[in-house]
Amino acid sequence: MDIKDEESAPSSKKASKKPIYTQFSQQDLPAWKPILTPGWVIATFSVVGILYIPIGLLTLFASESVEEAIFRYDDRCLPPSYAHNANSYIQSDDTNKTCTIKWTVEHEMEAPIYIYYQLDNYYQNHRRYVKSRNDMQLRNKAAEGDLGNCFPEDKTTDTNQPIVPCGLIAWSLFNDTYRFLTSNKDLTVNKKNIAWGSDQRSKFGSNVYPKNFQSRDLIGGAKLNESIPLSQQEDLIVWMRSAALPTFRKLYGKIETDLEMNDEIEIVIENNYNTYLFGGRKRLVFSTTTLIGGKNPFVGTAYLIVGGLSLFCAITFILLYVIKPRPLGDPSYLSWNRNPGGIK
Amino acid sequence: MSINNNMIDVLQDQKWESIPWKKLQVGDIIKVKQDGFFPADLLLLASTNADGVCYIETANLDGETNLKIRKALEKTWDYVTPEKASEFKGEIQCEQPNNSLYTFTGNLLIQKQTLPLSPNQILLRGCSLRNTEYIVGVVIFTGHETKVMMNAMNVPSKRSTLERKLDKLILTLFATLFMMCFIGAIGSAIFVNKKYFYLHLDSSEKGSAQFNPRNRFLVFLLTMFTLITLYSTIIPISLYVSIEMIKFIQSTQFINKDLCMYHSETNTPALARTSNLNEELGQVEYIFSDKTGTLTRNLMEFFKCSIGGEVYGNGVTEIERGLAERNGMKIDENKSANAVQERGFNFDDARLMRGAWRNEPNPDVCKEFFRCLAICHTVLPEGEESPEKIKYQAASPDEAALVIAAKNFGFFFYRRTPTTINVRESHVEKMGKIQDVSYEILNVLEFNSTRKRQSVVCRYPDGRLVLYCKGADTVIYERLADGNTNNNIKKVTREHLELFGSAGLRTLCLAYKELHPDVYESWNEKFIQAKSSLNDREKKLDEVAELIENDLILIGSTAIEDKLQEGVPACIETLQRAGIKIWVLTGDKIETAINIAYACNLINNEMKQFVISSETDAIREVEDRGDQVEIARFIKDEVKRELKKCLEEAESYFHSLSGPKLALVIDGKCLMYALDPSLRVMLLNLSLNCHSVVCCRVSPLQKAQVTSMVKKGARKITLSIGDGANDVSMIQAAHVGIGISGMEGMQAVMASDFAIAQFRYLADLLLVHGRWSYLRICKVVIYFFYKNLTFTLTQFWFTFQTGFSGQRFYDDWFQSLYNVIFTALPVIIVGLFDKDVSSSLSKKYPELYMEGIKNVFFKWKVVAIWAFFSVYQSLIFFYFVSTTNLSAKNSAGKIFGLWDVSTMAFTCVVITVNLRLLMICNSITRWHYISVGGSILAWFIFIFIYSGISTPYDRQENIYFVIYVLMSTFYFYIMLLLVPAAALFCDFVYQGVQRWFFPYDYQIIQEMHRDEVDNTGRAQLLEVGNQLTPAEARSYAISQLPRELSKHTGFAFDSPGYESFFAAQLGVYAPPKAWDVARRASMRSKPKIGHKK
Repeated sequence: MDIKDEESAPSSKKASKKPIYTQFSQQDLPAWKPILTPGWVIATFSVVGILYIPIGLLTLFASESVEEAIFRYDDRCLPPSYAHNANSYIQSDDTNKTCTIKWTVEHEMEAPIYIYYQLDNYYQNHRRYVKSRNDMQLRNKAAEGDLGNCFPEDKTTDTNQPIVPCGLIAWSLFNDTYRFLTSNKDLTVNKKNIAWGSDQRSKFGSNVYPKNFQSRDLIGGAKLNESIPLSQQEDLIVWMRSAALPTFRKLYGKIETDLEMNDEIEIVIENNYNTYLFGGRKRLVFSTTTLIGGKNPFVGTAYLIVGGLSLFCAITFILLYVIKPRPLGDPSYLSWNRNPGGIK
Repeated sequence: MSINNNMIDVLQDQKWESIPWKKLQVGDIIKVKQDGFFPADLLLLASTNADGVCYIETANLDGETNLKIRKALEKTWDYVTPEKASEFKGEIQCEQPNNSLYTFTGNLLIQKQTLPLSPNQILLRGCSLRNTEYIVGVVIFTGHETKVMMNAMNVPSKRSTLERKLDKLILTLFATLFMMCFIGAIGSAIFVNKKYFYLHLDSSEKGSAQFNPRNRFLVFLLTMFTLITLYSTIIPISLYVSIEMIKFIQSTQFINKDLCMYHSETNTPALARTSNLNEELGQVEYIFSDKTGTLTRNLMEFFKCSIGGEVYGNGVTEIERGLAERNGMKIDENKSANAVQERGFNFDDARLMRGAWRNEPNPDVCKEFFRCLAICHTVLPEGEESPEKIKYQAASPDEAALVIAAKNFGFFFYRRTPTTINVRESHVEKMGKIQDVSYEILNVLEFNSTRKRQSVVCRYPDGRLVLYCKGADTVIYERLADGNTNNNIKKVTREHLELFGSAGLRTLCLAYKELHPDVYESWNEKFIQAKSSLNDREKKLDEVAELIENDLILIGSTAIEDKLQEGVPACIETLQRAGIKIWVLTGDKIETAINIAYACNLINNEMKQFVISSETDAIREVEDRGDQVEIARFIKDEVKRELKKCLEEAESYFHSLSGPKLALVIDGKCLMYALDPSLRVMLLNLSLNCHSVVCCRVSPLQKAQVTSMVKKGARKITLSIGDGANDVSMIQAAHVGIGISGMEGMQAVMASDFAIAQFRYLADLLLVHGRWSYLRICKVVIYFFYKNLTFTLTQFWFTFQTGFSGQRFYDDWFQSLYNVIFTALPVIIVGLFDKDVSSSLSKKYPELYMEGIKNVFFKWKVVAIWAFFSVYQSLIFFYFVSTTNLSAKNSAGKIFGLWDVSTMAFTCVVITVNLRLLMICNSITRWHYISVGGSILAWFIFIFIYSGISTPYDRQENIYFVIYVLMSTFYFYIMLLLVPAAALFCDFVYQGVQRWFFPYDYQIIQEMHRDEVDNTGRAQLLEVGNQLTPAEARSYAISQLPRELSKHTGFAFDSPGYESFFAAQLGVYAPPKAWDVARRASMRSKPKIGHKK
């Protein structure tokens, strides 16, 4: 800040209280004074429009190039005899949970094809649920006794042994499984590398093994193989990255062969997970991806809307400017000029 | 306070001992020296002047500048020396301490006699001793019991109106918070259900109460508390801290250091004594100003005169200057080289100086004019008898100015003896000749407020008898001789008087009359008779004077300028254009006050004036009867009648569109009754409709009452400005109190919120600093409101998706640092640097200030608009981010979790909210860029670090690696481009439409001056206008003055009685006279002076 001392000569008279000139204290800082003139408004809207519409088109195009197939199966896999008693069907150990769906591929899908299960009305973001885990215990073998936040799924009922992994999230692990059969192709499901690498590396320990899991009276969901460390239990890792909203998808695996049009695929579902109790639906999703991920027409549409509205506004402003022009800085618009004798 | 450490002489053991004021006790006998202040309320015992008389100046109490006389009781005259004074033994009985400055009742018991005491013997604290070597007095009241302190009020703690409105906003936010929590809690109580088995809500064990479906009411309550902590961000706690910081810097760095408000003559910068009220300065609607010392300099200067129908004096009054400037002319202040500069004399016209008057058309009239000035007065010369060194002691500065004028015209009055006046006359017989002439003074017909004139009968050395008379135009004109020449002069002089009067000058008419010795002798006999009569002497003297003061010949008139402070009329004009109404509250008498109102352009002849005065014949008549109860009742009725009449008239004008502007003049006594609760509403209605209001003869307490009437009754924002102790209570009563600093007195400054050196700095303080502060604080408050509401609402929308469980959307740290780091600094920068228009434009277009008076920028409407955009933006943030949540986010098909989504949303919020700030800025400095960029950068730095580490502590690692996960996806960047644009879209449309179709005034001004470089240099603004020669400018300015047949001729002369003043010198006993303070206060026998029709 350049200081121009207007009183350059150090005066001999007694201390002058004259303030020293600084741009700061005289409020004279150089500043850009943007005025939102119609020119600016129209230009801004035009630029936004011109910029956003192509991005929107690209995004939409990418999203449209994604092939997606969704099957709801919670209803289809419920035997009609249990239609009014779904809960007892799913809780019973004796009923046959296997169900087969036939699917004719409608569009060609290029590998890798991702398989998701989608749940709704499932509050993974409920406060009680979100916090019901212990990250320390998950990544550190020594901390298997850390059971903070895990209640009530913290210890075994009888022996008071710590449960690893503890908490409601792990306890309610999704346990439907899918197999895909086709006549001429081998559709193995690759379940590796379905979790985020950072979770696998740092949040789940490679020396932490499941212990006493699902050993209490009430079984919430899947059981874990106690010989595989948590860092390899990718289904668990995926499940434990709690979803943000009550409708969510989780990655189940991927099929690494292309599916041709009219391929007949038999989907064998083990319908184990109980969503009947709270009225949640289960879906199975096949999806390919692009650079921006799965099918997501919303982003592209939003871009198009913002860009389109911008162009619309730009045109409207131009029209308004023509129809009802206001000369820039016209003093007759000043309030005290508009109604004379303003001070009253 | 240092004032109480001043030293004063106290009588101890027959000696004067110096002790500090604070040690004074009731009953002490003290000595006060000339020009000293009285440390307490004193009873005057003795004075070095004969007759126990002393002169005091009461300017600190009532603003009056002429000296007052106090006279000790005859019994105590002798106690002048310490030896004698120590013999004084007596008892004083007096009233309880009270705040009435003009009354005192008590008795002095001395030598077994009971002597009644009157205000005549009382010296009040705050006054000072003049023209008296020293006095001896007894302390009656000290400290807080003194009358001046009883007039003071408790120091109120002041908060700005905007802050009080802010409290209401905060309350609204609390209500909103409660509503949101209530909705959430109800939802929670409904939601909890055993069917959600994965939540284990059936657990009846400990710690499950919060979501126990069997006790939904408890769920409701507990969720309520959870949600209150969750949504607490809606309350902008850091707002108060930020505002305090902003205001502190505004006052210490901007106001205190403004070069435009630095007064170099007194070396005084402006001083903000509180930082609470900066933005209040931007909303002031009423200014209450003291007169003496604030508007005027307390300096009378001989300015112009009219002699024999010719106007002399080239001076341009401030008001003329202002008018000329308004009409685009620049008046050159070139004084002719030979202009005499002296205190009391500001007259420049070569035609009269150095004997040049001999060449004027009427040299004889000029001669009489000067002689009248030199002879007809009651001034005492003091010091060496040379024109340079002599000092004149006059009871009023007006008188001194006239004698000084005579001196400069070459009629040097240098000596007064009891019977003669000696004048050294130059150029009388021929150019260059100087001669000493001694005029024998035969009679003095003294000035009083009934007569409004003063005459002297003198005998020339050659035996000629002449009566010189000066006085108000009304009384002089009545007594002029008829005659053709005289008539012509009368007519012309009348016009001149009106001209002077409308320029705010104080006028006097001069006249003379030659007396035939026989006529004089017979009159003188009657005079002596009257003088020696024992009862009704005054009345008889007046009657006798009437006999000789007739058939006068008009010489001309004088015009004295009650010197205004620099730039006052211009400043007042500016402030009035800014929509501020200015009231003058003064202790001075009505004529003086009206004069100043004219001089300041507060009143002009085009205005309809309402005068409510207690000096009417009817009131005087009742007062003469002396029944207090009846007086009170009568005056009250009278005031009520007047008020009603004025109000009706005012309303009739108000309804007609082009009615004249209104002005109200009211005196203290009427005000006392008008402030009565039953009449207050009427007074308020009337005065609020008036363009300007002048209250005269008001006590300090009344000043405060008037101020609070407007403050509380009309709920307008008030500002009081004053310089003396008598203004303290008014300064404290107003929303904003301004003290004039740089003078001797500090009381006003100590009580004030801001101190400035000159009245004219008010324009800078209000129009520049006040307006900016108001704008800035409004922006800060609204922006805080917006950013916290937006942030909290995203959280609120999330609550609906979580089964109303009260799950946090954002990480704890995000939430805490949002206000402290990510959005804190830019808004402070706006609070410091935002400028809509430059300071010079602020003053050039004072009308901009009206936006503050109307509170345009912090109305509920504005809040509602911002709330609307908050809701809109928060919906965009939440739903844009969550709607796209379902599908895969990268080509590896992976899905985001809760914390990815929330971090994504938070990033969008931080960026948008900071960009939104740039959109409200009128001027963007590099600090804006730095702070806005810095805030966004701070968020990224924070999240990079925060999500990059995992701690060994037992905590949830929710955010671990989240930002890296986000940034590894294309989706993140696409959203980052989309969401802020979509969120700000509506705001931008609104701003564009608002500016184009409903522009604020400041926006038009911005556009008008868009191409100008900002540093216009403030002085440059004054340069606009054509260059005219001084003569042209003057004649133009004068021609612009209201020419309508004026009724105001500007008489406002006051002088103490001749006899009492000179009693000492003449060795003649004169009883205390009627004009003293006590009498003035009771306002008796003061006739109405003819300003009215």
